[in-house]
This record gives sequence, C-alpha cells and structure tokens, in this order.
Amino acid sequence: MDSILSLILFPLFFALLIAFLNKKYAAGIALTGSGLSLFYFLYLLSGFKNSLKVLNEFSIPWIPGIEAELHFGLDSLSIFMLLLTCLVFPIGILASMKYEEHRSKSYYILLLIGLTALLGFFSAQNDITFYVFFELALIPFYFIILMYGGSNRKKAVFKFLMFTVFGSFLMLAAIIYFHSLTGINKTSDWAMLYDMEISLSAQTWILAGIFIAFAIKSPLFPFHTWQADLYSEGDRPTIIIIAAVLSKMGLFGLLRFFNVVDDAILHYQMPLIILCLIGIIYAALVAWRQSSMSRLLAYSSLSHMGMIAAGILTASISGLQGSIFQMLSHGIVAAGLFFIVDLIMFRTNNSSIYGSAGIASTQPKLATYFFLLCLASVGLPLTSGFIGEFDILLGLANTNIYLSAIAGLSLIFGAIYTLRFYQKSMFGEMIESNNEWAPITLNEDYVLIILVILVLAFGFFPSSWLDLADQATASFVHLKSKI
Amino acid sequence: MLSIVILTIFATVVLYLGFLKNRNIIIPIALFAVLLAAYCLLSNQNLWNNWFMNMMEIKDSSKAFSLLILFTAACIIPFLNVFKKRGSEELADFSGILLYSLIGGIMMVSYSDLIILFLGLEILSIAMYILAGADRKKISSSEASMKYFIIGAFASAILLFGISLYYASSGSFRLDVTVVHSSALLNLSYLLIFCGLAFKIALVPFHFWAPDVYQGTPTIFTATMATIVKISAFGALYQFIRICGANMSEWLYWLLSFVAILSIFLANIMAISQHSVKRLLAYSGIAQAGFILIGLLQFQPDKTWIILYYLVAYTLASLACFFACHFIEVKNGNDDHSAFKGLYYSNPFLAIVLSIALISLSGGPLTAGFMAKLFVLTNAAQIGNIALVVFALILAVISLYYYFRIINLMFTRTNIEHSWQVDMPYKGLLALLSIGTLVAGIAPYLLVNLLK
Repeated sequence: MDSILSLILFPLFFALLIAFLNKKYAAGIALTGSGLSLFYFLYLLSGFKNSLKVLNEFSIPWIPGIEAELHFGLDSLSIFMLLLTCLVFPIGILASMKYEEHRSKSYYILLLIGLTALLGFFSAQNDITFYVFFELALIPFYFIILMYGGSNRKKAVFKFLMFTVFGSFLMLAAIIYFHSLTGINKTSDWAMLYDMEISLSAQTWILAGIFIAFAIKSPLFPFHTWQADLYSEGDRPTIIIIAAVLSKMGLFGLLRFFNVVDDAILHYQMPLIILCLIGIIYAALVAWRQSSMSRLLAYSSLSHMGMIAAGILTASISGLQGSIFQMLSHGIVAAGLFFIVDLIMFRTNNSSIYGSAGIASTQPKLATYFFLLCLASVGLPLTSGFIGEFDILLGLANTNIYLSAIAGLSLIFGAIYTLRFYQKSMFGEMIESNNEWAPITLNEDYVLIILVILVLAFGFFPSSWLDLADQATASFVHLKSKI
Repeated sequence: MLSIVILTIFATVVLYLGFLKNRNIIIPIALFAVLLAAYCLLSNQNLWNNWFMNMMEIKDSSKAFSLLILFTAACIIPFLNVFKKRGSEELADFSGILLYSLIGGIMMVSYSDLIILFLGLEILSIAMYILAGADRKKISSSEASMKYFIIGAFASAILLFGISLYYASSGSFRLDVTVVHSSALLNLSYLLIFCGLAFKIALVPFHFWAPDVYQGTPTIFTATMATIVKISAFGALYQFIRICGANMSEWLYWLLSFVAILSIFLANIMAISQHSVKRLLAYSGIAQAGFILIGLLQFQPDKTWIILYYLVAYTLASLACFFACHFIEVKNGNDDHSAFKGLYYSNPFLAIVLSIALISLSGGPLTAGFMAKLFVLTNAAQIGNIALVVFALILAVISLYYYFRIINLMFTRTNIEHSWQVDMPYKGLLALLSIGTLVAGIAPYLLVNLLK
C-alpha cells in the first residue's frame, strides 16, 4: 500500500467515481479525491527519510525494444513538486466550485486525470516514464481550456499545444539520441542514466533538445509567447494550477536532466544564464506596463521562472538549492495570486487591474492576504520568496558578480510592478458598482489563510525544507566532484 | 491455404445470395467466413499448404499480416449495412467483392514467388476499383473508381516490368533464389517493384491519386483502402525486403529513406489546407506510411513486431476515424470540417472515440500511436540514423496542427445541437477500437508478446 503507485492512481479512482455518479456530486468528489491525495502524500512524506535513496518505489517492465521500465518513486527532489501539486489541486477545485452551473462532470474528470499525470510526472524515475507523463499532463489541461476557457481560448490553447508539443518532440529526439549513444539495454532509473559517459559534443545536442523543450514549457524567454494569451484566456481556476504547477515542469525537467548534460551546461553556462537574465528584465518591464491582471501575473511568472532557471544553470550548490526551494515557494505564491485574481474577476467580470479599485476599504481581509502574497512574490525577508531568491543571487554572485547585480535588478522591478498592481487594484477611487461586493466566502477565506500561513511558515522556518533541498542537491554527485 | 479456399467459396456463395429476397443473412455469413478463415490461420491448419509448388507460404510474419487483414475486414463488414436499403443484390455484390479482396491481400503478404504477388495485387486492386465506384449514382464515386483504375493499372504495369527484370537478371520468379552478384539490372528491378507497391501504399511521389480517390469512394471502402490495401502492400514490401534486402545496394536504401522523409513532409504540409476530412485522412495515411517505411528500412528479423505494431496502431486509429467520418457523413451529408463542429455536445461518445484516434495518430502519450512511433524511431536511432529520427519528429509536429484542428472544432459549441446516437453494435465496435488503442499504448507488452 505504501507504493507510490497508489498515490498516482488515487485521483484516477475518483475520476471513475465521478463518471458513474450524478453530476451534482462531481465537485465534492473531486475535492475529496484531491484532498485525500494530499493527506495520502503527507502520510508517505512522514515515512520519508533523508537519504539519497529512492523510496516507495514502484517499477515494472513496460516498453519492449528499449526495455524501459515504468518506474515511479519518491526522492528528495520530487517531494517538493509533489507537495506543491497535491496542495494546489484542492485550491483549484475550490476556486472552480463557484462556477458550478457551467461545469459538467468532464471538467472534474479531466482535472483528476491531470492530477494523476502530474503526480506521475514528478515521481517518474527514468527518462521514458518522465517523457510520457510530460506529454500526458498536457492533454487534460488542453481539453479543459478548450471547453471552459474565455472567448479567445481556442487560439490561445492551440498555440500552447503547438509550442509544447514541438518542444516535447525535440526532447523525445534528444532522449532517443541519448539512448542510441549509450546503447542502454535496460532503462531503469536516473542514477543509471547519470552514470553514462557522453562526449561534450553529444551532450551539446542533447542539451539543445531538452533546453528548448523545457524553455517552452516553463516558459523562459524567448519561448514564452504562448503564456500571456493562455493565462488571460484560459479557464481561471485551471490557470491557478497551470501557473503554480505546470510552469514548474520545465524547470523540474532541467534539474532531472542536469547530470546527463552537466558538461554541456558548464560549457555553455554564460550564454544560457545571460539569456535567462534578458528574460528576467524583459518580463519585469513588460509586467510593469500591463493593465490586465492575468497578463501582469503571466509576465511576473515569466520573470520568476527566468530567475529560477538562472539559479539552476549556475551549477552551484546554493543556486540549485535556492532554485528548488523557490520552485515550491513560487508555486504557492502564484496559486494565491491567481486565486485572488479569479476571486476578483468573478465579482467584477473585469480583467483590468483598475476594475476593483478601492476595494480595500470594504474588504480589508482580502486586502491583507493579497498584500502578504504580494510581499512574498517580491521576495521580502521572512516570507518564503526571500530565501530562494537570496540563494539564487548568492549562487549567481559566486559565478559572476555582475550577473548577480543584473538579476538583483529584477527584485526592484518586481517590487515596482507588484506593488503597482496591488495599489491600483486595491486602493484608489472606489468604482460605483463595487459597493455591493459579495464578501469573500468561507471557502475563499480558508484557502487564503492556509496559503498565507504556508508562505510565512516557509519564510520563518525554512531550515527543514532547505535541508531537503540540500539533499536533492547532494544527489547531483557528479557536480560536486567537478566543482 | 485453407483460409483462402474458405474465403473463395464463401465469397462466391455470398455473391449468389443476392438472388434471395432475404437481405439479413448476407452480412452474418460474410462475417462468419472471415472469422472462420481467421480461425483456420490461428489453429495452424496445414491442409493444402504446399499447393502451387510452395509459391506462397502462410507462416510466421505473413500469418500475422493475414490475421491483421482479416481482423480489419471483420471490423468493416458490419458497416456494409448501409447498402441494405439498396436491395440485396448490391449488398451481396459488395460483400462478396470485399471477401475476394481479402484473398488478394493474403496472397500479397505471403508470396514467395513474384507471380503470386502480382496475382494477389490484381485480385485486391480489381476488387477495390469496383468498390470505389460503389455509389453508382454519385459522379464523385465514379470518378474515384476511374482514377483509381487508371493509376492502379499503371502501377501494376510498373510492378510487372520490375518482375520481368527480376526474372531477366536472376533467372527465376522466386524470391529466395540465390543471386550470384548484385547487378545494376537487379537493383533496377527492385526499384520498379518498390515503385509498384509504393503506388498501392500511396507514398510520395506516388500519392497523387490518394486524396481524390479517398474523397470520392464511399467512406466504408475508403476505410478498406486505407487499412487493408496498405497492410497488404506493406506486407508485400516486408516480405520482399526480408528475403531480398541483403542484395539491395546502398543507394536504394538511401532512396527509400528519402522517400520516407519526403512522404512525412509533403503529406503533412498538404494536409494542413484540406477541408474535407477524408482527404485529410488520406494525407495523414501517407505520412503514417512514411513512418512505417522507416521501420521497414531498418529490417532485422527479430524486429518484425515493430512494423506489425505500427500497422495495428495505425489500423485501430484510422478505422475509428473513418467510421466516425462515416457516421458524420450519413448524418450531415458531407465530410467537411464544419460538419464536425460541436460534435462533443451533440454526440459525446463519437467525439471521444475520434479524439482518442486522432491523438493516437498524432503520437500522443499512452496511446498505441505513441508507442509505435517510439519503437520505429528508437530502432532507427540504434542503427545510427539519428538524422532521420530528428527530421521525422520535427515534421510530425506539423501533423499535430491538422489533427488537433478537428479536435478543436469538435469541442466548439454551436447553436444547433441535436443530440444523436450511434447504434448499439457500432458503438461497441468503436469502443473496442478505442480501448484497443489505449491498452496497446498503456501496456505495450500485451500486444508485442502477441505479435512475437
């Protein structure tokens, strides 16, 4: 029962349940399913020991010909993202419950399939399993947005699909190339793949394939053009999940494949980091001038992703550790911010940041939560956002102090656009129609309280999680020997 | 051999059943014949197996190809029901001719003498020319039949030319004859035989007939063309490469690789601008054939299952597509893109079946189509053709565009949504095809062990 497989199949079971029961129970079952997944994951986590070993493993022979195994397991890297996934899904489902009359059973079924795909992706223990679930995660979200998104959703989601699949086919080519090089007859786990000796030129090709794939998925500049469209046209509760979890898939993949292509990363470190930095500054400047809430958050997310990617590419202990921690932190903060955007847009039906002006005077609670999340997004000390960014900047400084200085600029820009966003949407002249705002419901209150507590808890007491991130970093054995 | 005899007898019987007033027994009898033939193959009946001086041998791989042909036919035959209202004569004619075409298919995949290949190809093709014109009153159907006939005759002539050159250079029609040295004439004969078969498969640059003929032919027989004819022609090509591959010179391999890449590229580009879904599926079939050809080029005796797996995956998905197309055509009168609009809201079952099939064709994860592409490409990469793999994958991205455009349309709401249903037995068949696609994609070992 302790096998990771039961966690992965858990949501699928509830999806089946929804399919066979009445529509009015669908949301409740989906919420229960995702909530129980969270608790089940926490139970697995309680048995997790700090070690380099992969725990709660599940593996069976899967694909003949390349002798790949279907292999899942918990390790110190995957638990960060699994925690985030399990945490964000109930929030997304809670947010979607207020649109209940527009949602059919298929919505919740697809969401739960998406949860299964993501759990499988983050716990995948070899590259073929990783690839299949990387692609699989796209499909349910594609269908959800296709059916429930905004007016221009078809174009946005199509762009998203074409971009992502282009990237993932490149990754598939890289994986096939990698396999043909090493002549692996049995694809079982990451450690085995990391042990392969590959020449620098071959690594460069593999890096080119996977970097484009992950840069599209995250997204990173200049592969980001699908993002703002999708975030503003997509179904908002789903965008909470996409912004918080799916955007980490690319970075997670980069971490997973780090050891395979470490020589190439060290060799091309400078140009890649500079690309990330351009993206960070560019996205921050664009975010500054946005008047649509979703678009602003999309560009803010792009800026943060660039930062995390730069941290990974420094190939230093602190940079990697900070990146891993920041992936979790940004996930929580992004989920909170998109949750608030959804909550505001549900009431005002206006995507402009000016649409809810002056609401702070009648909704002080909301304004407080929003403010704390904004601070975490900016990276203020004692919030979760600070620790990760600090580590990343430290890592960058160790590589090159100027890079660190430029990346540091993004903190300032970040403060500008985030606080501008907060100020315009919460303060100012109250719009007439906003007087009869429905107060935030109990559900929304709970979600926001939990998120704010998490943000503060990770900010005040990061050490146990930093230890785990350190564990994850320590698994990059090759790296340590090279530095 | 026994299965061919059974099919011949039943096909003739079915033809004469047209004289009876009772239309209801024709389809069950045809179905019974196909299943009986499949049973004979499965149970290793070796009655009359050595007839015709071993000019054809049904064993191992050719048995698998034959079974695949029979399985596909068993899926198609129930749909002949649409001809029921036209009277028992036509129903009997088309059922009988379809059964005859299977004989040709089985001969094509199990020949060991080129005469049998030609015979099989002609039996299959002539049956298909007639079936293409089954909608006699429609000008497009007659046009398709005529086009197919003229181009098909041309292809047969090229094949025959190749066979005669083979005879000239090797002194025998048999495939397994020992060739002393690989001469230019022999390679030319290989090339011509390949061209003849490529016409039937519809590989670029021999593909021009495919979209026109597919569009005009009644959808059920388009499905036959896209599956049974392709399987047979690939089976024939497989048999040829398996036995004669060693004698082929290097440039022929390069040429075939080039044809494969060109097929994937041109077909995908052309498919983008198609409005008729049947035309689109014709181009998609050409692109898929390019992938199968990549698998064939890297022939190793223990990797036969890769090609079979790809063919099974392709057959499952394209049967589902054509059947869905058939229902849409019956409902809306045409197979235009716009006819698929809002399908999910009027007939969710059909939309889901079609989505799974299209995702499988595009190589989506956990479907048979993905595994098939993975097998073919990893095999090609292991042999060292990594450039081929990268090209094929990048070109496959284009195919996503037209497959998902249909999915996009199906999930678009329209104002007029009359909910309608597919009849129960057909529903079961379609569900079976989808489940097959998913099971083969999630647990490939099941199918692969079967194919091995």
